[in-house]
Amino acid sequence: MRKNLTQLLVSIALASAALTVSPIASADDVKMVGVVTKIKMAADGKSAQATLKDVKSGEAVTINITDDETLDKFKDKRIQDGDEIRAKFDSNGNKSKSFKKTAGC
Amino acid sequence: MSRNTITRNLLATLIAGLFMPVGAQAADADLLKKIEALTQQLEQLKAQVQASQEASRQAVAAVGEVKEKVQKNEDRSTEKWLTIGGDYQFRVDSLSGETKAFLMPTGLTTPPVSVPSYKPKNETLYTNRFGLDLNAKATQDVSVTARLMMYKTFGNNDDNATSGPYFADRVGVFDGTLGHVPSSSYLNVDRVYATWSNIADQEIWFSVGRRPSTHGAPSNLRTNAPRPGTGGTPALLVDYAFDGMTLGWAPDIDALPGAYGKICYGRGFESGYSSPLTNSIKDTDMVGISVVPIDTDALRVWTQWNRGMNIFDSPKLYASAFGMSMQPTTNLGDIDWFGAGAMGTVKKLGPGDLNWFADVGLSMTHPNSNMNAMGLGLLTGVLGSPEAANDKTGTAFYFGLRYDLPSKTKLGLEFNHGSKNWITFAPASSDSWTSKVGTRGNVYEAYLIQELDKKPISSAQAKTFFRLGFQYYDFQYTGSNNWVGTPVKMSNVTGATMLPMIPLSKAYNAYATFEVKF
Repeated sequence: MRKNLTQLLVSIALASAALTVSPIASADDVKMVGVVTKIKMAADGKSAQATLKDVKSGEAVTINITDDETLDKFKDKRIQDGDEIRAKFDSNGNKSKSFKKTAGC
Repeated sequence: MSRNTITRNLLATLIAGLFMPVGAQAADADLLKKIEALTQQLEQLKAQVQASQEASRQAVAAVGEVKEKVQKNEDRSTEKWLTIGGDYQFRVDSLSGETKAFLMPTGLTTPPVSVPSYKPKNETLYTNRFGLDLNAKATQDVSVTARLMMYKTFGNNDDNATSGPYFADRVGVFDGTLGHVPSSSYLNVDRVYATWSNIADQEIWFSVGRRPSTHGAPSNLRTNAPRPGTGGTPALLVDYAFDGMTLGWAPDIDALPGAYGKICYGRGFESGYSSPLTNSIKDTDMVGISVVPIDTDALRVWTQWNRGMNIFDSPKLYASAFGMSMQPTTNLGDIDWFGAGAMGTVKKLGPGDLNWFADVGLSMTHPNSNMNAMGLGLLTGVLGSPEAANDKTGTAFYFGLRYDLPSKTKLGLEFNHGSKNWITFAPASSDSWTSKVGTRGNVYEAYLIQELDKKPISSAQAKTFFRLGFQYYDFQYTGSNNWVGTPVKMSNVTGATMLPMIPLSKAYNAYATFEVKF
C-alpha cells in the first residue's frame, strides 16, 4: 500500500513537472530600418534572402522573404541594393512579415 | 665449487660492473644530445610560430586599414548618396477640332463679333521634352529630390504654337504648368523638395518644396511610368505643380498593407504686399487630406478631400493667347473636391497582366459675390447676364484598362466623363488640347505602348519605348477646365451666344512619342 502510494505521488510529481515545462517560445516581431546590401533570389524564384544593414547599429541582418509582392519588386528592381527599407520579421527564423521602402514625399 | 672458482666469478662480476656505467653513461650522453637537439628545434619552431603570428597580426591590421579606406571611399562615392536619372520624349501631335458659331466680345464699348463655326487644326506639332531627376541623401533620414524639365516645340521658343483661345488651361503657360505644356528651351525646376523620413523612429514624414503633384495615378499607366507610391496626387483632382508641404504617416496595419495618410498644403497664388488704396487680392491656397487604406500591386484604394481657398479669377501669364498678359484681379470663392478610386493589377490573365482603374470625383463651388472684369463669377454668370452667387456641384468619373503582353506591348483604353459643373485642378496634364480629366462631356482614348527589348544600362528602370494614341473629346458643355462663368450646353450654343472663349464642340488628337527613360 505504502509502495503504491509512493509510486502514485512520484508519478503525479513527474507529470506536473512535464506540464510546467514551457512549450517552444513564440517568436516576437522585430522591426528595423536598414539599407539593402544584398538580395539573393532562390533559383525557383519563390523565395529570397535580403540582407539589410541596420541604420542604427550597423549590423547586418538577413531576412527570409516569401511573399509574392516583395519578390516581384526584387525581380523588377523596384527594390534593389541601396534602398532604405522598413522591415518587420519574426525573430524565429527571420521570416519577413513586412518589407517596404520607407515612406516619404 | 672451489674457493678459486668463486673468487674468479666475483672478480668477473666486479669487472663487468665497472664497464656497465660507462655504457649507460654513453647512452645517457646520446640521449642528452638528442634532447638538446629537440629542444633547439622546439625553440626554433616557437620562434617561427611567433614570427608567423606576428606576420598574421600585421596582415590583419593591413586588411583592416584597406577595409577602412575602401569604406571611406564608398562613403564618399556619389553612388552612395546621389541618384541621377531622367527622361527624353519626342512627341508628334496631329490636332483637329470643330467649333460652334458664337459671338466673340471685343470690349466693353465695342460690339461683339460674330464668329462662324470652323475646324481648327495643327496637322503636325513636334515637341521635345527633357527631364532630369536628382535625389540626394543629405543626412540620415533627410533627402532632397529635384526634377528639372524642358519642354519645347520644334521651331518655336515660346508657347504660341500650343496656346489657344479655346480652353482656360491652355491660354498660355503659367506657374504650375511650366515644363508640362510646351514653352521654351529653358530648363525649369518642376519639382524640388526636402523630405524628413522616419520621424521619431516612426513611419512619419514631413516634406516641403515644389511638390510632386503632377502626373499622379492613374495617369502613370498611359505614360508608362511607375506608380507614384506615397507621393503624388490623384490625377482626376490635382495635376498642377504646387509649392507646398506634406505631413504623412504610414501605420503598420497587417489587415491594410501599404496604408498611409497625409495632410497636404499648397499655395496656388502669392499675392504679395497688400495694397494701401484698394482691396487686396488674397493668396490662393489649397489644403487636402488623402487616405490610402490599401496600397499593393494587386489593389490600391485612395480617398481624398481637398479645398481651394480664395480661388483667383485668372492665372498670372506674361503672354496669353489673347495677345496680352493676364493676372489675378479678384478672389472668386472656394472649391471643395472629393474623390475616391481604386486601381490594381490582375496577373496572368491570359498571356499577360491586366491593369485597371476606376475613379470618381465631386466638385462643389462656393462663390462669393466677386466677379471678374467680364462680370463672371465662380461658375456663375454668362456674358451680359451676371448671376448671383450660388453653390454648384459637378461630378466626374474616369476608368480604364491596360493589358500588358509578354512581348512588352501594352494596350490601353480609357474613358472619362464630366458633368456640366465639373471643375478640376489639373492644367499640367500631358494632353495637348486641354486636360482631358476636366472635360465637361466625354473623352475616349486608346493607346499602344511598345517597349524595346533592350538591356538596361544606366539604371535598372531604364527603358526605351514608343507610344501611339488617339483621343476623341465630345464636349457637351462650354468652359471645360474653366471655373469662371456658367457652362452653357453645347447644343444650345448658337451664333447669338456670347462666350468668352471659342466653343470647341469636338476635338481629335492623334499622337505618337519616342521616349527614353534613364
